[in-house]
Amino acid sequence: MFPTMQSPGSDLAMDLSPREVPDAPRAQRRWLPIAFAVFAGVAGLAIVGIFLTSSIDYFCNVDEVGVREGCNDDERVRVQGSVDEGSLRLQAGTTSFVMSFNGASLPVVYDGEPGGVFQECIPVVAHGRVVDGTLMATRIEVKHSNEYEAENADRLEQSESAACS
Amino acid sequence: MHTATTAAPGAAARTGTRTTRVIGVLALATTAFVVVSAFFLTPADSVQGDSVRIMYVHVPTAWVAYLAFITTAVASGFSLARRHRTLGFDRVAGASGEVGVLFMAMTLLTGSLWGRLTWGTFWQWDPRLTTTLFLFVTYVGYLAVRRIDTDPRQRARRSAVIALLAVLEIPLVHFSVVLWRSLHQEASVLSPDGDVRLDDLMLFTLFAGVAAFTLIFAWLVIHRQRLTALADIRQTVGLDAAIALRRSETRGVVK
Repeated sequence: MFPTMQSPGSDLAMDLSPREVPDAPRAQRRWLPIAFAVFAGVAGLAIVGIFLTSSIDYFCNVDEVGVREGCNDDERVRVQGSVDEGSLRLQAGTTSFVMSFNGASLPVVYDGEPGGVFQECIPVVAHGRVVDGTLMATRIEVKHSNEYEAENADRLEQSESAACS
Repeated sequence: MHTATTAAPGAAARTGTRTTRVIGVLALATTAFVVVSAFFLTPADSVQGDSVRIMYVHVPTAWVAYLAFITTAVASGFSLARRHRTLGFDRVAGASGEVGVLFMAMTLLTGSLWGRLTWGTFWQWDPRLTTTLFLFVTYVGYLAVRRIDTDPRQRARRSAVIALLAVLEIPLVHFSVVLWRSLHQEASVLSPDGDVRLDDLMLFTLFAGVAAFTLIFAWLVIHRQRLTALADIRQTVGLDAAIALRRSETRGVVK
């Protein structure tokens, strides 16, 4: 038994000496949340430092390619524009179309079939390099609008004509 | 409080009241309506087709996550102002933060699935997705800080400061699609120009979804903060009992 401590003038003594704690992974319990907090801090810094800085202004518009800083046509770019009506071709697993924005157009060739709701008259973002005036895309993403309308033939026609006009 | 838990453990363990039961029933009813409306009543979208139905979960979870983090910040502010009197506001802040992280995770998950169906990709480091992930990671860190073994009042002060700073990220996330060029579409409701760009029944179902998830949030936070209060009481009672036990042991040794 441990020795006891007794307050002077008191008949009530308390044993304040250290004890063996049977389930003692206390240090582990203390460090786990700290490790999580540090991980969250590092992950947050990485998100801001690496990904957010590169994603601010996620794309260049078609009319900015080769004109705007960061949209150089001799490096990898992400270009946004609307798929021209009647320009979409799917041949031997290769997709080709013309994308336009603000009066400028850019032919795009993509080795594969784009996913999502890809179609004509819809804005898309194509990743790739411009070679001889054609964007050789390695990825196509659909940038759909913030408008939601019931699906029926009349409205679909209106939507398409509005998107292409 | 101690008496209640020790004298009637069964009764003290309950965290429900008439109010929470009413909230729970309302949450169930509203959720049932949203499920029926989202799957059977609302039309498919002219461009996105049936994949638009994910919106009725994705948007409400995002809004409720914002609400949860704002609640955490407000409760943290009160906690800092009244820290010498009670830990109640700190418990609300913690509970709301936990539920907010849960809803934010659901937002990221449903958004990723929706992105695959419409954009053609699960994830891209565009401004909205990146800032949302940053917000999520910040609050995971907040919860981790709350778990650090320390004095409850110190924990309350420390986490309150983090919560008050972290909530400033919400405007950044919400307006990221306006401030920068993003793959993510701009807001269809509460857009800067004030226009609403949804079919009527779609909009109604969306609002019902927000109501349903808000009720679920309230129900979860109330129960969670009461559970935390009970755990604190149990810890205190346990400490009292341990001190009493050691006193009785000591009396034995002294004699």
